Amino acid sequence: MSTRRNPAMDQVAIVGLGRSPYARDRQGCTPGSLVSEACVNAIRDAGLGPADIDGICGSMVSAQWVQAALGIPGVAWFANPQAVIGNQITSAVAAVSSGMADTVLVYHHAYRLPWASRSAAKDPMRKRATLGVADARSWWGTGHNDTGPNSLYGAPAYAAWAGRYLHDYGYTRETLGLIAINSRTNAARNPNAVYTEPLTMEAYLDGRMVRDPLSVYDMDIPIDGADAFVITTTERARDLPRPPVLIHAATLGHTDYGSEEQLRDLEHAGQMVVVDRLWAKSDLTLADVDVLYPYEGFSNIALSWIENVGYCGRGEGGAFVADHWVEAEQRIMIHGRIPVNSHGGSLSEGGTQGAGHLHEACLQLRGDAGPRQVDGAAVALVTPGGYYFNSQGILLRGDS
Amino acid sequence: MTDEELLDAFPGVRIDADNAAWHRGLLERRLLVNRCDDCSRWHHPPRPLCPACWSRSITPTEVAGDGFVALVTALRQGAPQPGVDYGDGGHALVAVELDEQPGLRLAGTVVGTPAGEIQVGDRVRALWRDIPGRLPRADFEIVAASTGAGRVGRGEGATR
Repeated sequence: MSTRRNPAMDQVAIVGLGRSPYARDRQGCTPGSLVSEACVNAIRDAGLGPADIDGICGSMVSAQWVQAALGIPGVAWFANPQAVIGNQITSAVAAVSSGMADTVLVYHHAYRLPWASRSAAKDPMRKRATLGVADARSWWGTGHNDTGPNSLYGAPAYAAWAGRYLHDYGYTRETLGLIAINSRTNAARNPNAVYTEPLTMEAYLDGRMVRDPLSVYDMDIPIDGADAFVITTTERARDLPRPPVLIHAATLGHTDYGSEEQLRDLEHAGQMVVVDRLWAKSDLTLADVDVLYPYEGFSNIALSWIENVGYCGRGEGGAFVADHWVEAEQRIMIHGRIPVNSHGGSLSEGGTQGAGHLHEACLQLRGDAGPRQVDGAAVALVTPGGYYFNSQGILLRGDS
Repeated sequence: MTDEELLDAFPGVRIDADNAAWHRGLLERRLLVNRCDDCSRWHHPPRPLCPACWSRSITPTEVAGDGFVALVTALRQGAPQPGVDYGDGGHALVAVELDEQPGLRLAGTVVGTPAGEIQVGDRVRALWRDIPGRLPRADFEIVAASTGAGRVGRGEGATR
């Protein structure tokens, strides 16, 4: 039983899912076109219309823009927390459970900027996509002024900590490769995934190195796409057409070491805050989990999540994944039954900072996952984010 | 040096009252890291108060630039920058844990050793180079290779 206050437990549900399809070579789209497509699809999926939405909570595209674009007549609460998706979800849960809003539209998009891919660099309009936008980290005032190739701002730090993980625990790149191959194998059953061709360990090890020890296969795939979710009270959810997905517990987790290179070590990261809080707020345990979604925007993050949610000890994630690797299927099946990132994750479905993981978890709990449906999936654990200021945990259950 | 001259020396960098001393130090080839006058703890990047004791009596204080490699990666691609070569094993990028305090780290590159040969635990020291077109900063060089003994520098934080 839970040991920490959680009045929102199972009281708020996800009742609508919408997506703007993930694509690596999409022309003529904008953040607004992606978000609006996903939002319209989510509201329709929920069996609702614009007048039913009274709260809006998204990432980079402003709530005001979405309200105006979709013609939502009256919104009583809105917020635009920074990515990743747990920020939007926890804010929406707080709004619904407190009565600030009854039905909240949540969204997040990914949009390839010119430096993210070669094809994006050829699109002249994308060069103006960030016109007038401040450097994000500088704007947030976190003290990070140093963003060049001699700094550990952002992605390079994930590579550096991946190297430290291999160093400290005695693993090789093959350990990271299992995470990449697992995602690719699962993506083959996902028609919405951008990469579905099988990946062998030989091909993985030959992958173009980007930031040692991470190669192209260890890093999320830049795409254009968006996800949206409609969130309301569980009471109201039961009158709507889709099977409700109940938010059992959700939390964020940061430590006071907010800069990548100052993180104390991988045993004192945001993930530990998340896990301690999430299980304390939950009536469910790890043994109840049927489908697992550890974020793998960088492959090493998933190993840390598998350890920290409690499947094994710290530093044992690599060995655990190898032990639960099903050679004939070329994927992880924990205890022979729990798939990991059943949709292909950020490494093969496409990178949307955890929104895709949440979308898939909801599909599984609704029984809508098609050829990759896990029979009887009743509880999903989604852990978006990495180590520093974006670690998050969301525990979902079907309404049975 | 006036504030205007400092800003001119770091175009495009958001310099403010909290981090000006760090940047002034770089211009003088000194690493001025914030240190608390009350509890003696160091912190970086610069904050307006001591994260350990909340004192606002902070003195930017020179560190020696000696330490060990806590994190290392090699960048194989990226935006062109003066003094940066992404080819041939990549551009070395490290976090150096300074001798002044466990967990107190600076990011930078390593000169004189191929990126693929740099190990966690290698002893380094700061050095200063003039690279035309690059903003002033410290680089590092290896002075002794890691002994490879055990795990390095774990379990102690910068401000606790």
